[in-house]
Amino acid sequence: MNRDELYKIAEAWFQQQDWKPFKFQKDTWKAFLQGKHGLLNAPTGSGKTYALWFPIVLNYIKNNPGYKTNYQKGLKAVWITPLRALSQEIRQSAERVTADLGTQMTVGIRTGDTSTKERTRMKKQMPDLLITTPESLQLLLASKGYDKVFKHCSAIVVDEWHELLGTKRGVQMELALSRIKTVSKDLRIWGISATIGNLEQAREVLLGPDTLAFENSVLIKANLKKKITVRSIIPEKMETFPWRGHLGLHLLEYVVPIINTSKTTLLFTNTRSQCEIWFQKILEKHPEYAGDIAMHHGSINKETRNWVEQAIRNESLKAVVCTSSLDLGVDFAPVETVVQIGGPKGVARFLQRAGRSGHQPGKESVIHFLPTHAMELIEASALQKAVTHNTVEDRLPYLNSFDVLLQYLTTLAVSDGFYPKDILPEIRQTFCYQAISENQWQWLLNFLVMGSQSLQTYDEYKKIEVEDDGRFKVNNRGIAMRHRFQIGTIVGNAHLSVKYQSGGYIGSIEEFFISKLNRGDVFTFAGRNLEFIRIKDMQVHVKNSKKKTRRVPSWAGGRMTLSAQMSELLRNELYTANQATAGQSKEIKSLNDLFKRQRRESIVPNTDEFLIETFKTRDGHHHIFYPFEGRFVHEAMGSLLGYRISLLSPITFSLAFNDYGFELLSDQIIDIQQVIDNNLFSTDYMSDDLYKSLNATEMARRKFRDIAVISGMVFTGYPNKGIKMKHLQSNSQLLFDVFRDYEPDNLLYQQAFRETFEHQLEEGRLRLALERIATQEIVWKPCEKPTPFSFPLITDRMSREKLSSEKLEDRIKKMAAILMRK
Amino acid sequence: MSIVPLTSMNTQSIEIKNKKFIMHPSGVLFWDEKSILLISDVHLGKVSHFRKFGAAVPQKAIYKNFDLLGEAIAFFKPEYLIFMGDLFHSSLNKEWQLFEKWTVTVDSNIILVVGNHDIISPLNYEDLGIQVVSEIQLDGFLLTHHPEERDGFFNFCGHVHPSIRMVGLGRQSARLRCFFKTENQLLLPAFGEFTGSHALKPVEGCEVFALLGDMVLPVPFKEKEPRGPLL
Repeated sequence: MNRDELYKIAEAWFQQQDWKPFKFQKDTWKAFLQGKHGLLNAPTGSGKTYALWFPIVLNYIKNNPGYKTNYQKGLKAVWITPLRALSQEIRQSAERVTADLGTQMTVGIRTGDTSTKERTRMKKQMPDLLITTPESLQLLLASKGYDKVFKHCSAIVVDEWHELLGTKRGVQMELALSRIKTVSKDLRIWGISATIGNLEQAREVLLGPDTLAFENSVLIKANLKKKITVRSIIPEKMETFPWRGHLGLHLLEYVVPIINTSKTTLLFTNTRSQCEIWFQKILEKHPEYAGDIAMHHGSINKETRNWVEQAIRNESLKAVVCTSSLDLGVDFAPVETVVQIGGPKGVARFLQRAGRSGHQPGKESVIHFLPTHAMELIEASALQKAVTHNTVEDRLPYLNSFDVLLQYLTTLAVSDGFYPKDILPEIRQTFCYQAISENQWQWLLNFLVMGSQSLQTYDEYKKIEVEDDGRFKVNNRGIAMRHRFQIGTIVGNAHLSVKYQSGGYIGSIEEFFISKLNRGDVFTFAGRNLEFIRIKDMQVHVKNSKKKTRRVPSWAGGRMTLSAQMSELLRNELYTANQATAGQSKEIKSLNDLFKRQRRESIVPNTDEFLIETFKTRDGHHHIFYPFEGRFVHEAMGSLLGYRISLLSPITFSLAFNDYGFELLSDQIIDIQQVIDNNLFSTDYMSDDLYKSLNATEMARRKFRDIAVISGMVFTGYPNKGIKMKHLQSNSQLLFDVFRDYEPDNLLYQQAFRETFEHQLEEGRLRLALERIATQEIVWKPCEKPTPFSFPLITDRMSREKLSSEKLEDRIKKMAAILMRK
Repeated sequence: MSIVPLTSMNTQSIEIKNKKFIMHPSGVLFWDEKSILLISDVHLGKVSHFRKFGAAVPQKAIYKNFDLLGEAIAFFKPEYLIFMGDLFHSSLNKEWQLFEKWTVTVDSNIILVVGNHDIISPLNYEDLGIQVVSEIQLDGFLLTHHPEERDGFFNFCGHVHPSIRMVGLGRQSARLRCFFKTENQLLLPAFGEFTGSHALKPVEGCEVFALLGDMVLPVPFKEKEPRGPLL
């Protein structure tokens, strides 16, 4: 069958549905059938699934013209999705096509939710299309004979690639692709991405720089214009002090009319605990919604999540309170309105969430922005500009993530073993490891085989063995088993599953939350009040409770920061505060009282001013700096400045950061004049000072946590498995200390510093920010009391950083322990 | 092996039931009158255990425990050395051979009060001349691994790995291993490198001594300030 005949099959199907294929869909079919690789830039709800699913089926038909009667089994394509929640939706679309075209092709899902029975069945007989996650794909590479499974695979589609790029799961994908490229002979690799700043680079990372695949690839843009309307919720009475941690609940009543006037509303929160609380509060204040609203987040069990998703499609729900678990993919036509609670911290994410409403080509998307504190209204105003100008941020890919590579090599050693001479060239074709040196490679192999760089006495290190013919292989079943479990937990805390004592899985909770509970304590989870009974075999046993409670589990999620573009918009928005009201947005206008209060003791800075405020409270001496550059730049600048000040004399700081500025809190007063006179905002020796400041803070220590887990140094335990691993659990903090003291040249230890430097501190942006500050006039305002701008910072008790140049002894001598009253 | 001179170490003495005990910055406790040195929760073999199971903890960390033990013994030159449980982290591994060699260099009589981690057969210990017991009662003192309350006895024990959280102005805080004394009990800190700790909250009537570099620091207490609004 030639290509035109194949297109006819597809177009006929579209006609039957009363649809017309878009140009980007036809372009993708053509490129795919020409054997090209590529990246498709298309938003959710645009029909991107059909853009790639059709050519996969058509390609099968082409190779097997008797497809209607003569079914050829075996894996033909893998569809990677970053979220399990999306897999059902993709399956339905795919099955619809295969059934209508009479191909007899099967579609299967394999994720962390898939039962062991189902997995075993798949091992015997793979479906034609496998929908899976990056982790589950790695697990396939960890099973014997994986090369046969992928031999006739014609396509790998990585959906929502922008979500994976810039994460270690993305690196996992790069590695898996590098292997499958070799074992399958006729493979096309396709990514699907929403709009991000670095789309070209996204394609390069997916396919590998300087590879044949990259050369033979295309970037197809859907270019669908979607009208997005942003509406800020502005309270009638504005607070003068922007308390943080409000969760926005004081504006709950403003949401009610929005819910009432739309068919279905999604309320996006930034954290799972915020989601739980909002759900609970809406029901408390408006019991009439019982049965009409639901909750959806990643820690709730699969059945409930599926039920909620189905209920959205059936239009049987008025509203769903959710987290990023509903950010992506799923096509919910009935959703008319979206409410974003709290700053989304990124334009791309905001656009994505907005796109959840009016989820059909041509329809308008409406998103309401509900600020959790007054300052966020500035952000809301900036977001509107961003939406208008389509300003989206880059996703920065990782380089040289040795932890992920060690995990991957162990994966290969667990299944069929590997020969370094075959694998190194594959790895060098990836973006992440394009520059890996011979020495580093040898170091990693030594680490896997000997647990160090040379053989040592009294050592029983066991992981990978080198067989006589040079093959690297794991032969120990315990190590293989532990490794397979570890693949699933690429990042995150140890999770425990929550179950009713009488049976029935409710969801999973991080261990550190549970560890604080005593028998009889009541907490809210999955919208229920549960009484804690005990922990047994990695399971939390609970029963329903009627008691009221304010305890809600927290999940440590990734902290997000404003992008450079967004920060600039934010600054410019703020600068309008000092201008004539005619040119101000209504958000800025509504903050008038707050600005007035701010000006009483301090100023609202202009474009050419850099504001520093100092004051004293019973917590100590506060020194607040306002660069308005986004959280990550502030972390870097705060560390840099703190470090430079600490060189002047021994001092200890507690640092707090947000998107507007940073605070250096100390028991001593800093002479700001000295900071200015010594030119401590200079870019001279910046990299060097910044790197040294890492040793003075604990940022690298925290990064090390994930590295230790991913590289297999720390076992997280196995949720739901009931296997006792206590004797192998250690804490990454201890491990960090041991490396610092005994093996500081260890590549994993060093990676913690490099990663902080490259991914958290954003050196490049810091330099630009300092250069901008150099052109500004520094305005130092010693204040009597905290100002409105400083409030969110000084009340931040949770996410603080420490920096000290004092001797531990000297610091401790000024401290005391808090006595518990009985 | 480096021997730390007497003068550089700041020990703390404490009197219990009219007997003098000396706390050492390494976390050991010396019963002066009886010349008994108490050491708790060394967790030997932990590093090797991890390595055996595929986690590459730096091997050099193994030797540190033996160095520290040597320093503490050289300081007090005790007649008796009593390990208060969890001497070995897990089953026999090659670190046992290092331990064997080390015991030869020790002149003191060694006794092990078994803890929950001590699953190595007592026969192995007895071969090295180490006595293995479940507890020791001596002059109104009860030495156990797990904390115990028994009428008429003051209890020395380990198991808990106690530490104390200290706070200061400017939202400063630090966590230190410590000796934790209540009316009838003294919890010993975990001696071993590469062992974690458990933060305890001080209550009325307790005394806490933190390990801080080369000194033992009596921890001052303060009442929790009521948190009103900052403004």
